[in-house]
Amino acid sequence: MHRLWGYIVYYRARYMRGILCLIVSATLAMSIPLLLKWTIEAIQHQRPFREVMWHVVAIIGIACVQGVVRSFSRFMIFNVGRDIEYQLRNDLFAHLQKLSLGYYQRQAIGDLMSRLVNDVTAVRLLLGLGILNLLNTPLYYIYAGSAMVMMDPQLTLAALATYPLMFLFVKRMSRQMMEKTLKVQEGLADLSTRVQESVSGMHVVRAYVREDWQAAEFGRRNDTFREESMSLARVRGLFPPLMKAVSGLGLLVVLWYGGSHVIAGRLSLGDLVAFMGYLHLLAWPTMALGWLISIVQRGKAALKRLESIFQTQPEIVDGQGDGLARQIHGEIHFQDVDFGYRAHVNGHLVLRDINLTIPAGTTVAVVGRMGSGKSTLVQLLPRLFDVQNGTITIDGQDIRTCSLAALRHWVGFVPQDPFLFSTRIKENIAFSLPAVDMERVRWAARVAHLDQDIADFPRGYDTVVGERGITLSGGQKQRMTLARALLADPPILVLDDALSSVDAQTERQILRGLREATHEKTVVVISHRIAAVRDADMIVVLDEGRIVETGTHTQLVERGGIYAEIFQQQALEEELAEL
Amino acid sequence: MMQDGQREEALGKTYDIALLRRLWRYVRPYRGQFLLAVICLPLTSAFLLAQPYILKLAVDNYIAHNDAAGLTKAGLMFVGALVGEFIFFYLQYQATMTVAQHSLSDLRVDLFNHLQALPASFFDRNPVGRLVTRLTTDVDAINEAFTAGTLTIFMDVLTLVGIVVIMLTIDVKLTLTTLALLPPLLVAMNFFRVRSRDTYRAIRERLARINAFLQETLSGIAVVQLFAQEKKLFAEFDERNREFRDANHLSNIYEATLFSLVEAVGSISIALMLWYGAVQIGTGVVALGTLVAFVEYLQKFFVPIREFGTKYTTMQSAITAVERVFQLLDTPVTIASPSLTREPEQVRGHIVFDHVWFAYKGDEWILRDVSFTLEPGQKVALVGATGAGKSTISKLLNRFADVQHGRILIDGVDVRDWDLRTLRRQIGIVLQDVFLFAGDVATNITLGRSDITQADLERAASYVNANRFISQLPRGYQEPIRERGSNLSGGQRQLLSFARALAYNPTILVLDEATSSVDPETELLIQDAMNKLMAGRTTIVIAHRFSTIQHADCIIVLHKGQVREIGTHQELIERQGIYWRLYQLQYGTPSLSVGSQFAEVGD
Repeated sequence: MHRLWGYIVYYRARYMRGILCLIVSATLAMSIPLLLKWTIEAIQHQRPFREVMWHVVAIIGIACVQGVVRSFSRFMIFNVGRDIEYQLRNDLFAHLQKLSLGYYQRQAIGDLMSRLVNDVTAVRLLLGLGILNLLNTPLYYIYAGSAMVMMDPQLTLAALATYPLMFLFVKRMSRQMMEKTLKVQEGLADLSTRVQESVSGMHVVRAYVREDWQAAEFGRRNDTFREESMSLARVRGLFPPLMKAVSGLGLLVVLWYGGSHVIAGRLSLGDLVAFMGYLHLLAWPTMALGWLISIVQRGKAALKRLESIFQTQPEIVDGQGDGLARQIHGEIHFQDVDFGYRAHVNGHLVLRDINLTIPAGTTVAVVGRMGSGKSTLVQLLPRLFDVQNGTITIDGQDIRTCSLAALRHWVGFVPQDPFLFSTRIKENIAFSLPAVDMERVRWAARVAHLDQDIADFPRGYDTVVGERGITLSGGQKQRMTLARALLADPPILVLDDALSSVDAQTERQILRGLREATHEKTVVVISHRIAAVRDADMIVVLDEGRIVETGTHTQLVERGGIYAEIFQQQALEEELAEL
Repeated sequence: MMQDGQREEALGKTYDIALLRRLWRYVRPYRGQFLLAVICLPLTSAFLLAQPYILKLAVDNYIAHNDAAGLTKAGLMFVGALVGEFIFFYLQYQATMTVAQHSLSDLRVDLFNHLQALPASFFDRNPVGRLVTRLTTDVDAINEAFTAGTLTIFMDVLTLVGIVVIMLTIDVKLTLTTLALLPPLLVAMNFFRVRSRDTYRAIRERLARINAFLQETLSGIAVVQLFAQEKKLFAEFDERNREFRDANHLSNIYEATLFSLVEAVGSISIALMLWYGAVQIGTGVVALGTLVAFVEYLQKFFVPIREFGTKYTTMQSAITAVERVFQLLDTPVTIASPSLTREPEQVRGHIVFDHVWFAYKGDEWILRDVSFTLEPGQKVALVGATGAGKSTISKLLNRFADVQHGRILIDGVDVRDWDLRTLRRQIGIVLQDVFLFAGDVATNITLGRSDITQADLERAASYVNANRFISQLPRGYQEPIRERGSNLSGGQRQLLSFARALAYNPTILVLDEATSSVDPETELLIQDAMNKLMAGRTTIVIAHRFSTIQHADCIIVLHKGQVREIGTHQELIERQGIYWRLYQLQYGTPSLSVGSQFAEVGD
């Protein structure tokens, strides 16, 4: 709630203007039944036509003014709601960008999305519709109530007797409806998951002729969903007729009880009409009050969930060190580094006792079997994760003391999973630039051996990634992520098996070309193909999280250890592929 | 955007009738309920319309004449009208919802079954997300039209016409004076309808843009952070967020104006009526009760008018959704059982590929003139580079796709002549990427087949060495599988899929050997399980391990879609061709014993 007050206070001027309009509008609205009463009484008592005329003109005038003021009050308050929604969404996004990779590994994107969409909406409803009605309803009650009481206190009590009922009823029903709506939404989500799974596993279902099973599973959920929808409909369907019935009952009381008062001469016909008018005016705000309760409840719950996102602190934060200005050489040093993921509760270490020095300007290859910790090792460099023990330094400076932005400008990291944005190819490659620079884009594409592929697309560099009809192969995506990193021109370049989907020969050519294009850079490369990295200045072999061998290709082959073994196996694979 | 709107409207008009007729097929089974709803509609309206008239009677006939008994009668009539409206509205709503929920549920089932029958190539072209949208969001949009409108629009029209007719019957001139502002109001409303429809569409598009952006950015957050591009992305997000807000601001202004306009016109109409009434009452033509009734009628008149815009928009999006849904239902099923099926007397597992040519598109041949024969019980190893066409062979065998030229015979019968279900039951396929369904371990072995008993299940599992790890799971066979099987290792998933294949006891087995490495112990278990699984079955192994290849009865070397060599290990060695060279390589490296592989070693 604290955060919400901040927003409300920030927009207080606009809220106040809206509220002022609301008060004026309510005052004018409430004068209309009174004018009706006077007009009818004038007609009834056969007053001069001019008097009636004046009343009529007054009603028309007030209706016009009230219409204008009312529309102002509505959109002013609703628009502030939208403004706060905008602000809140921006703040959330900015905060989410700060959270570390570990958070996103624990948090499903789907859940986050639903918070950002549904919870923000719930808060906005609270701030717009909620605030409007929170003020409107009491205003209407004060005005209408006092006017009615002045005419006939007894009739007022009788006529309004049904309204608390209406309020209680709406309150109850809207809670039920919220709950049921939530269930229906869950049911729909469940159906989605089901269809998603069925389509993804279609090949298995078909191969084993289990369409009937899938249909039955889907049918079961479909039935549940239908029944939940029906159950919601039963409550929802009660709403409009019951509302009408309750306000109708008020009218009935006025007609019957009020009518008898008129017969008894205690009330004028004009009063009767005015009573009916006030009842009409009160029906909607009373109903809205019922809704309001659930809007407030839902808004508060949503706010709490959003607050828990705001409360999450990034695990990896800026160090108090150098900014961007400093030029670095690119010497990397690992000192007694241990690392384990938080998810491994048993304290299993993925990396142990890593001591490694990578001189500036050299190319170092890291190889090892699956699960040996190669990827983890290089992911520590741009601080996607932080070491558990030991230190990593670049040019002698502990990377935890640099600002994250500076560190990540120094370390260009190309991940194995190529992630591209659904923008144009040139924008993807020029991701690190404020604006596309075609010359540099072309250079990067050429070094990544991607220029030929792009030339083959009908729209070249303007091709939108992921657009229908154009699907990039895994290898093309990987080369594009490489080009993206190259364009940023970092002094240290890390390739985390970033060319795994590219064929062996192209990978080798790219890596060779890279050495020429980046001769002053420090390059750390992981590849599952040893042949591609055999020219590296130094090769580091990892096994079960430890460095087991280091040396050049020739040295390691001669040594006859793990490296030599993997090398032999892969030579075979390559020969077979080429036959 | 305007163009889109016009196109949408034009489309809507052309297909409306045809669409409704198709939709009717889903409504038909529930026509009783539908009829009930249709009958209730005018009744609801009638009871609603009676209420102001009763007021008029009460005022003019009873209150004005100080008739207390008469007033009571009028009061009772009013109660009756209220109850009547209540009952018929509720009945109507429930009947409508019953029809809607049931027919839409049927529609979803049809859609699902249709999806299951569509050829594999369809799923290559259509992303899963889009298909899910058809079955859920689109069908829900149709539901929304039922919930919020369709039938009630008819009721609204009935009510409006009814009010005008009654008012006219009571007093023509009074009615005309009262409704004098209606034509300009309708013009104004139409103006707002078009505007707010466009802004509404803009809002939806912009929200979709925000959500797509969020989804993408959060998925690629690592890239954003690695390139330290948070500021740039924030600016892009802010732009989308701002656009969405601005569209909403506009929409709020339209809605507030329209809302207030209708209210104001309502009040002005009452004033006009009083003005005219005052003149007439003076001459004794109009009674006071009429004025009271007119006030009430006017109140009821403007409610549906105010709501019409929203209902119209809902209907529009429902029509678009119906169109899209039927489009999916119209996608042809290209692979189905022939009308006249033929099957061999006894299924033994004899396979013939007879000059088979296959391409996914045009003349980009994946397989060229592939011929080979497999005797029942024979094990054949398919060897070749990635893209040589190995996995296509298994797809053609169980008709995930059909050949372009040539034919495939199983026990002498062309696979296209078999009943599709019978054919696929003969063939067990084990892919290297094991797909696991939500559910427990047992369900993933039986795939929901109830005739596989727990004993069968456990026998199958222990035969292929899966029993051991399953029994170590906290809940054994009832252990729930987490999303995409993340609680099982790669090797365990392999063993599970072997158990699945074995439980189904196929005559023919297609095994796509996994390339990913597992620990040596599991590797031995997998080797052993594979051998057991292959025993007595005609087996095609897409082989990656030399040990598997060496133990095959026959080796087929595929290269660029062509069969280059066929023979036993011994024959191919003697022939000194491609396979021989491979073997030479293999022979030179003693470290490649059982358990090692020549596929990727890496993360």
